[in-house]
Amino acid sequence: MKELIATVKSNNLIAENIYEITLTLPESVGYIRGGQFLNLAVGDKVHLLKRPLGIVKVEENDVTVCYQLKGEGTHIISEKKVGDKLSVLLPLGNGFVIPENVKNVAVIGGGVGVFPLISVLREHAGKINFNSYIGFRNKNAVCLLDELEKSNFLTVVTDDGSVGKKGNAVSAYFEDKNKVKPDLIIACGPPIMLKVLKQKLIESGDKTPCLVSLEERMGCGIGACLVCVCKTTSGGNTRVCKDGPVFDINEVEL
Amino acid sequence: MANLSVELCGVKFKNPVIAASGTYGFGREFDEIYDISKIGGLSTKGLTLEPRLGNPVPRIAEGPSVILNAVGLQNPGVEHFIKYDLPWLKEKGTVIIANVAGRTLEDYEGICNRLNGLVDMVELNISCPNVRAGGMALGIRPENIEEVTQITKKQLTKTPLIVKLSPNVESIATNAKAAERGGADCISLINTLTGMVIDIEKRKPIIANNTGGVSGAGIKPIAVRMVYEASHAVNIPVIGMGGIMTGEDAIEFMMAGATAVQVGTANFYDVNAMPKIINQMDEWLNKHGIKSVKEIIKTATLNG
Repeated sequence: MKELIATVKSNNLIAENIYEITLTLPESVGYIRGGQFLNLAVGDKVHLLKRPLGIVKVEENDVTVCYQLKGEGTHIISEKKVGDKLSVLLPLGNGFVIPENVKNVAVIGGGVGVFPLISVLREHAGKINFNSYIGFRNKNAVCLLDELEKSNFLTVVTDDGSVGKKGNAVSAYFEDKNKVKPDLIIACGPPIMLKVLKQKLIESGDKTPCLVSLEERMGCGIGACLVCVCKTTSGGNTRVCKDGPVFDINEVEL
Repeated sequence: MANLSVELCGVKFKNPVIAASGTYGFGREFDEIYDISKIGGLSTKGLTLEPRLGNPVPRIAEGPSVILNAVGLQNPGVEHFIKYDLPWLKEKGTVIIANVAGRTLEDYEGICNRLNGLVDMVELNISCPNVRAGGMALGIRPENIEEVTQITKKQLTKTPLIVKLSPNVESIATNAKAAERGGADCISLINTLTGMVIDIEKRKPIIANNTGGVSGAGIKPIAVRMVYEASHAVNIPVIGMGGIMTGEDAIEFMMAGATAVQVGTANFYDVNAMPKIINQMDEWLNKHGIKSVKEIIKTATLNG
């Protein structure tokens, strides 16, 4: 884990309100696992918190993340030009640790939750069979299809049916699951999506191991400040930034 | 190299830069980034007698040059700290300040009794605005400050007591004097100011607790003014904090009257903030031909 001054290599709008930024790091930070994240500074002295963003791509010392325009901070980042410098802290969190014997993975992603899943597809491409179920709001929100197509099988759905079938990623997976029979499910998306996924797995008695990546407003990003906690099913708290963001779906309250 | 060492209540600090409570955990996470023996001291995450889970999330929000937090004293409890964190911290060669809080006077008495002689200093959090039943009430009125100071000081026969003052009060000078009368060996200030940020789309505060403690660069002028007023009202040493981001900021607090400073929010802005601040202080002193940082303490004078 290092804090470095990165150089903006590209920063482009790729879907409605969604930008993709590639940062060139001045040095290697070692291996980055799929599902890990970085903390990106806004680059001024007004916004003191870094923005936690799931890593999408790593190519040598170039790291790519995507972000949705939300407030002032992301708007300022979206105005960064090629060659601008931004402070970045990475890699953070545990990422998706996929056991060696797992060969067939179902990927369930919704909205901006798709981004960290792409780094997993890239990390294990050719070694694991990926069946991906990806939901977007509508056709304007669809992005990174070239990356998602690294899956062995890809189903894209939208809330309004403007691309693919009308529906959501969780339902799309459940329609297919008896055919796919995954060894593992990995998922990232809005809280309601993960909650429904957990409910459906429980209701259908599906014991397939399932890892979910969570999002929370963060402070330090390294586990010191206890801002971004999530309740565990055993009655305690766990730190999303340090102990997660990836958890066994049965170990966290969603 | 200027001499950065300072002494507070007989405790020697290699430099005056201390990690502020709640931003630095017990030091383990920052020690993965740099050797924490570099920093002058560490005020731990606020400890209570029993473990606490804290507030619901979101616990953080941002404003211009400030952040707001409402963690609500999540901590593993003092026994866990003594067993697992303290032995590790003792190997690190930095001053260990246990920050403590409680719901009742008995809680404060009990935790100070337990920590007496085990840590270098105890810092009393009587101003954390986040736990409804606890801190805030004790930190506002001078008579309550004096009482909690007296009770805890009685327990701390071997360990110097720092009383951390809240800025959400009528007179900081009056409250500083109350801590001194109660027997405090030192005061630290300022704790966070109470604030609120509203999400205008949802028409609700961002922080689940509604209000949070405001910290960061934006509160610095308020903090400097209060450190000046408090340090000129008492004869015990003062630890200054509130928005310190650079070595120059730390120098400003020391000139206002602080013998040492604490750095909190800057640790989020830049994980290497504390080592950088220490280096910047050294550079500033060298540039000005000042041999020891002690020479600048309480040297700012008001305009005639």
